[in-house]
Amino acid sequence: MTLFVAILLLLAGLSEAIGRLLPLVARLSGVSHTRAIWLVVAGAFVDAAVFALWPLSAWTLAELVLPTSTTGQGVLAWTPGLVAPLLLAAILAFPLLGPFLHLLLMVGVGAGLATALVPVAGIGWWEAAGCVAVAGAGLGIAVEGVRRLVARLNRTRAPESFP
Amino acid sequence: MIEFALLLLLFGIGPVLLAEALLSRYELLAYTAGWRTPDTALPPRVPYARGADADRPPAAYLVYLDGIGKRRFQDTRDGGQLVKSLLGRAPELRVLGQVQPYSPLAHPLANRPVWIWLRRRMGLVLFLHNVMQIFVAADRRYRPLYNRAVGSQIATQLRLAGYQRDSGIPVVLLSYSGGAQVATGAVEELWSELRCPLWLITLGGFYNGANDISHAQHLDRLTAAGDWIERTGMWIFPQRWPLFRWSGWNRAVRAGKITVHWLDPATHVGPRSYISPQAKLPDGRSHLDRTADTVIALIRDRVGATAEPESPPA
Repeated sequence: MTLFVAILLLLAGLSEAIGRLLPLVARLSGVSHTRAIWLVVAGAFVDAAVFALWPLSAWTLAELVLPTSTTGQGVLAWTPGLVAPLLLAAILAFPLLGPFLHLLLMVGVGAGLATALVPVAGIGWWEAAGCVAVAGAGLGIAVEGVRRLVARLNRTRAPESFP
Repeated sequence: MIEFALLLLLFGIGPVLLAEALLSRYELLAYTAGWRTPDTALPPRVPYARGADADRPPAAYLVYLDGIGKRRFQDTRDGGQLVKSLLGRAPELRVLGQVQPYSPLAHPLANRPVWIWLRRRMGLVLFLHNVMQIFVAADRRYRPLYNRAVGSQIATQLRLAGYQRDSGIPVVLLSYSGGAQVATGAVEELWSELRCPLWLITLGGFYNGANDISHAQHLDRLTAAGDWIERTGMWIFPQRWPLFRWSGWNRAVRAGKITVHWLDPATHVGPRSYISPQAKLPDGRSHLDRTADTVIALIRDRVGATAEPESPPA
């Protein structure tokens, strides 16, 4: 992964985190500016890591469950062109239509990843698309679980007492 | 030519729309997180209520929630005509028109420096902002917060106008266009804060039907066959479709709480709108006169029986 791609992934993670900020902060009524900013920064790193793992997970999944041919083209990795649309992930915050537009964005990026996976794994496009979709859904569910857990822990935390 | 229009849409209006959509939630975030507190005081010379004197209980409090043109505490031109007409015909009502349906912080757009600048250059953006606020209010993720914010704003303005919790005096929310989304959303918070008998009247209402209005006594829907904006709301929001039986709207329909009143041949906006003083009916009345008469007749019919202060709240 080049430095440029890493920066793009971090910005994409930041975009995704901003898109998810309000529903999270809404559960943390009374949160300070500083804490909100830290939540976004932490979320940016988590989401960037999830995005970074997406092609690797899809490729690993293809290797594990499908009969693949050896192509010798190395591992599936992000390229600037593939990752750039994720900079629009903040569209998730768009009121009412946000989740639908976000889904369209992810389908578009996933289709790009599937196309890139075909020559790497030596499988058909639809099989590649299935691997990308399952990997993306799995990562998405995992990070959503973590997100809800963090929100729950913050919401129910009792005030600290000092003896 | 079509390509040019598409390019203009994509690169001109598109980014503005996107930026506005992303910024539109900031105010709700600031409210929810407690970074800013809602404005409660009104500017000098803007009364908390007009109409019936404050020294004795009015027949009802009428809160007017305007359409997307609302950007200051004072009434918009069209909304002002309706309010004026209602005040002239029903002096027994106390009327509030200062509620900001599109601002969780009750902060009018006209008082914000950036928006003053924008208004002089791109007035359309002001309407766009308020449309986005309707979208925020209708969004499943933000709706409870938005409803609480504006419901609380209405309750505060009612208290400042003299309303007392548990007084039993009816409150009528008269909403025009997108104001209906806010009116239906405010029901729970108003009930929680004031325990008031509550009636809703929507005029060309644009709302998603997700809000629970079980604590409202009734909803009178004023509409017309030529009102395509209201009709669009019924098409685009699944909770308004009969298929979604457990939506707030369909539960209210089954409970017999919705009555439709047709104001044909009125339109939503324009020279033949519901509140046009120019468009005339065969009986010689203007559309504005007919709408005001209908609203007052509904209030007197439905609210009159419970308007006595000694009547217990429902």
